[in-house]
Parts: sequence; structure tokens; C-alpha cells
Amino acid sequence: MRETKCETVRRELEELMLSEDCSMSATQHLRECGDCREFHQKQTKLRQIVGSLGVVEAPADFDFRLRARLANESSGAGFHLRNMQWSFATKGFAAATMILLFIGGVVYLRTLVHQPETLELAQRQTPEPPQSGPRPVERNVVVPDHATVVASDNGPRRSKGVERPVTSKRASLVAVDLGSERPPVISDSQRHSPIFPIDASLQSLRFSFDDGRGNARTISVPTITFGSQRVLPANNQFAQKRDDIW
Amino acid sequence: MNTLTTIDELAFAPPVQQEVLEDTTSDHALLEATRTGDEDAFAELVSRYRNQITSYIYRMTSDYDSAVDLAQETFVRVYRARDRYQRSYAFSTYIYRIATNLAISELRKRKRRKLVSLTGFFQSSDGAEPQELNPPDCRPLQDSELVDAERRHAVQRAIGTLPEKYRAPLILRDVDGRSYDEIARILETSEGTVKSRISRARGFLREKMRAYL
Repeated sequence: MRETKCETVRRELEELMLSEDCSMSATQHLRECGDCREFHQKQTKLRQIVGSLGVVEAPADFDFRLRARLANESSGAGFHLRNMQWSFATKGFAAATMILLFIGGVVYLRTLVHQPETLELAQRQTPEPPQSGPRPVERNVVVPDHATVVASDNGPRRSKGVERPVTSKRASLVAVDLGSERPPVISDSQRHSPIFPIDASLQSLRFSFDDGRGNARTISVPTITFGSQRVLPANNQFAQKRDDIW
Repeated sequence: MNTLTTIDELAFAPPVQQEVLEDTTSDHALLEATRTGDEDAFAELVSRYRNQITSYIYRMTSDYDSAVDLAQETFVRVYRARDRYQRSYAFSTYIYRIATNLAISELRKRKRRKLVSLTGFFQSSDGAEPQELNPPDCRPLQDSELVDAERRHAVQRAIGTLPEKYRAPLILRDVDGRSYDEIARILETSEGTVKSRISRARGFLREKMRAYL
């Protein structure tokens, strides 16, 4: 019973402000209970010490610094916004560059990988009657961009005697297995046409230059061969000689 | 010549007219004026609360420089949020809540950084709060002011070792003299919790300050 009373009184004393007086019953209890009286004295002293801490003053330049800070905030907001925009622009530009590089890389790789498949001969010529024995496999250099290539093929997929002009948009290499086929016979009109199939005859490659003052120079390059494979046929379009030009 | 020549004239001289905002202007009205762009109104608010807020944060953090910084941050936040301010409770409650949150954030940051007082501490093995090594100086001091200063210093250190959830209500109640109701609103908790925490905090302090009581 007494403990309950002590607890109640102490709680009341705890909740009171220092300047406030406690109730009559609490005062009566404090007179009778030594423990609660001691508690009350210590508590009061402690609260007086804590209360004596007082107020710590702000520094004299508090207002000035605060104004400077607010001014910085207001001007910094624009800077921050600009910074964010710049940051977004930079990031966007970097992302766009990365995407373009990626797409470019993919396209380039696809070109490299699928080049032999995508390259088609422009047209297969109808084979002429066979000439002398089988010829080795040849790799012919085909005309550059936007050129029409006419070639011959006796493959199973192609019907004989059908000519199909195909426009190639890239300079490319074409592998034609002529080992078991008859070589194409190029007529004289075809030979002098702008689109000229590659001949495999062994001739040197010759270049003629004219400096515009009547001084002509001719460079002759021998045929390059690797074993049985002629990489640079002598009689190709680069070495073509036409009477009306030279 | 309208100059003062004697002490009597000085005593009866008319008071100097100063264009100051009256103290009777409520905090709400000042903040409303700040919202409309009146910088003087905000300056008046700052002058009313700068010492209280700085002192409160200093009691919480025991570091004057960071207390000043955080007090400034408090006012910056008040200024920034002037358009969103609602008059549902007192401005003092509002600004003390901001200050409390900033102070608690600072204390937590310090705890993460493991910053401790250079006066040394004893870390108990059960992972409780670090205890300041603060042996009371029992030698008699001649000057009572020195005794009081030493006692205040000791109690400040003791408050600094309290857990933050006990520290804030104790300071608000025993240092700032705020009501339980207002403390509850500042700390966004119930009044009963505030009373309980203050009681616990005083119990901790009684133990730490035994030599001074």
C-alpha cells in the first residue's frame, strides 16, 4: 500500500515543473516518507542543474551567414538545375553514342559474317560448249560499287540459259568454281562493254598514266599467284585496254 | 541646439523611435509575410528562434559548430518550405521538429562514423551506449562559480551520453521547459511515452551525476 503511494507521489513529482507546487497529499507523504523526501531532493537538485544549462547563444554572424546561405541556395538552385540538365544531356549523348556504336558494330559484324552468303553473282551466263580440260578453282575480283556483274554458273539451282542482271551495292569477292565447268566465252562486244567479266588469262597488270602534258607512263605488274590460285587475274577491268581510251 | 546636456534630460528624453516589428506579431503572421516575400519578417523569425534552436541542437549534439550549422539548416528548411507550412500547430513545434530531426540525423551519422569523444569512454561489453570517462573531481573549489561551471559541464557530458530517444525529451522538458503536450507533438509520439522517457532519462542522469547531487 505504501509502495503504491510512493510510486504515485514520485510520478506526480516527476511531472511537475520545478516552479509548481505538489498536491497536499503528496506534501503530506513527503513529510512521512524519508525515501521519497530524499528522492524529491535529489530530483529537484538534478533538475536545477540541468535547467541551469541555460541557452547557448548563436554567433553574432548567424544572420549574415544564414542570408548568404539562402542567397547561395537561390542561386544554386538554377545552377543545380543547369547542372542536372547538363548531366542529363551528357548522359543522353553518351547513351546515344553507345547505341550507335553498338548498332554499327552489329551491322559490321553481320556484314563480315554473312558476306559470302549475301554476295550473289549478278547474272549467270549460259555456258558455252566446253573448251580444253578442267580448270582450277578461281577467285575473281568483281567490279566495285553499283556495278553489274555478269558471270556464268552451271549450278543445280540455276537454269541454264537464263541471264539475270543483279546490282551489287558493294565491292566484293566472288568465288566461282570453274574447275569442273567450261569457262565462259566472252564475245567481243561484251569485252568492250563497260561491264566486263574477269578473264583468267595470265597477263600482267598494266597501268598507264598521263600527266596531261603528253608524257605517258606505264607500270606493269606481274601476275601474282599463290600455288594454283590466281588472286589477281591479269586481264581484269583494271588492266583492260581499249583502243578508244589509250 | 537640440542636444542633451544633463543626466536629467537624458532620463526624460523621448524614446528613440525604431522601426521594428512588434513582438506581438505571431509566428504564423511572420511566416505568412515571409511567404509573400517579406524578408524582414523572416529575419524577425530568425531572431526569435536562433538562440533557442542553436542551444537545443547544441545540447543534443554537444558540438557548437555543428549546432550552428544545423540551426542554419533548420532555418533554411523553414524558408524553403514556407509555402507548404500549415498552421495546424504552433510554429515553435514545427521548427523544433525540424531541428530535432536534423540533430538526430547528425547523431546517427556520427554513430555510423564511430565518432567518439576525445575525453575517452568505456564501452561496456554488452554493446550498450558508450559511457563517458568522467570521474568527479572531489577536490574543493574555492569559487562557487567554478563549482557551478564544473557541474554544468558534467551534466552536459552526461546528457551527451544518453540515448537520443531519451535525450531529446529531457532537454525539451528540463532545459527548454516545454510542456509534455508540446514535446509529444515535436517528437511525434504520445504524451505517455514522453513522460516515461523523461523519467528514464532522469534516472540515467541521477546515476551519472551521483557525485554532484
